[in-house]
Amino acid sequence: MVIEVRDNLKYTDTHEWIKIQGNTAIIGITDHAQSQLTDIVFVELPEIGKEIKKEDELCIVESVKSVTEIYAPISGKIVNVNKHLEETPETINESPYDKGWLVEIEIADESEIKDLLDAVSYKKMI
Amino acid sequence: MANKSPIHELHKKLGAKFTDFSGFEMPIHYGSIKDEHLTVRKNVGLFDVSHMSNIWITGDGAENLITLTTVEDASKIENKKSQYTVILRDNGTVIDDTIFMHLEDKFMIIPNAGRAKTVTEWLNKKAEENNICATCEDVSREYVILAIQGPKSRDTLQKLTKTDLKTIGFFGCQYINLAGIECIISHTGYTGELGFELQITPVDQAKDIFKKILEAGKEYGIKPIGLGARDTLRLEKGFILAGNEFEGGRTPLEAVMSWIINWDHDFIGKYALLKQKEKGDYERLTCLVCQEKGIPRHGFEIQRDGKKIGIVSSGTISPCLNTGIAMGYCHPDYREKDSINDIIIRGKPVKSKVIKPPFVPKDWKNNQ
Repeated sequence: MVIEVRDNLKYTDTHEWIKIQGNTAIIGITDHAQSQLTDIVFVELPEIGKEIKKEDELCIVESVKSVTEIYAPISGKIVNVNKHLEETPETINESPYDKGWLVEIEIADESEIKDLLDAVSYKKMI
Repeated sequence: MANKSPIHELHKKLGAKFTDFSGFEMPIHYGSIKDEHLTVRKNVGLFDVSHMSNIWITGDGAENLITLTTVEDASKIENKKSQYTVILRDNGTVIDDTIFMHLEDKFMIIPNAGRAKTVTEWLNKKAEENNICATCEDVSREYVILAIQGPKSRDTLQKLTKTDLKTIGFFGCQYINLAGIECIISHTGYTGELGFELQITPVDQAKDIFKKILEAGKEYGIKPIGLGARDTLRLEKGFILAGNEFEGGRTPLEAVMSWIINWDHDFIGKYALLKQKEKGDYERLTCLVCQEKGIPRHGFEIQRDGKKIGIVSSGTISPCLNTGIAMGYCHPDYREKDSINDIIIRGKPVKSKVIKPPFVPKDWKNNQ
């Protein structure tokens, strides 16, 4: 199975991806992460409007046997969450970079973006 | 270093991901726990459970030793029959749960992973203390144990043997020639489905037999199954996992296993159980089905009206029901059928209904 890493995204060493869109960022987990977790059966999303700091717990992703905390790669305010995942969490397995996105954050501190990995560095890591 | 199954390399080739279970590196899944789970419920699956232990009990007093050290009267279990039972301490708490098989003049017991030494020492000590002429020998590493489970398990194995498998009743056990190899077969399992378990020695034959079973089951969609699905399959049936349900010292009364206790004989722990029964106010294992989203896990608190009334011993999402299910020890006043308790999942109470096991009924497949 080929693991996909997309060139236009930023990454963390804890396997989140970040797509910068102006002053907001969309966050999800990478193809590598979903393949390691296997069947995702439950997602607990944060409340819209919540302010979070970099490395705070952002949401919970559960597979049959495991509970995984997803940490915020950058600080900011939650402006949108992917509600569909509450009914169809397996979307993360099927489409980790598109339909399986988790949350959208309003970026609080742009300087944090430079700490993120680019696709080349992330590929080397996995 | 962790112990490995003698057929570890074969699992690797089949795409297994591994986990440590009681000191054994065993397959947790081969791609998808959910898919493997449903394969066993609907068709047939093949498990390597070589992490489990094997002990031979021999000698004139073998039967007496089992009768003394388990809640079963072994004289009632005739040749070619097996029995599920528990070995207790004097205080009534469980050392281990096990199946024993009566095979001609000896008995084989199958304790849990990593329990062989403790159980062997305990049984030998009790034989000596009570002048019983019996010897227990840990032969765990000399056996590979395979489980073939699911509605098509019998059809699959039948292709590999001349013995009519329909003549082996539930909990029957015997020597058999399967795929050209002499082994022990028992009509037992841990999934709640039709199934068989094989004890194979010497272990170098196991790889070949594993492959032959996969080949024989091909037309039914057989798959190798990891310990992940083994856990969800047993939990859906309300079966006990020793490491979870007996953690911290639990008696078979607390684990609601009265059905396996034969009271008509003397056994170690009996007095303590009788005293507990008389007192009556002990926590009991209780099955709960979540009425809201959320997955209960081992160690989560169970509450009623904000007050702690119990603790989850095993929890998961049920792949068949697609809802959270749990077993946990509850105070006797809070486990009436259909009553609602809260399981606290990361600080949030999730409504959960008390049910009588199993969570998934026998005819589940027919109603899909």
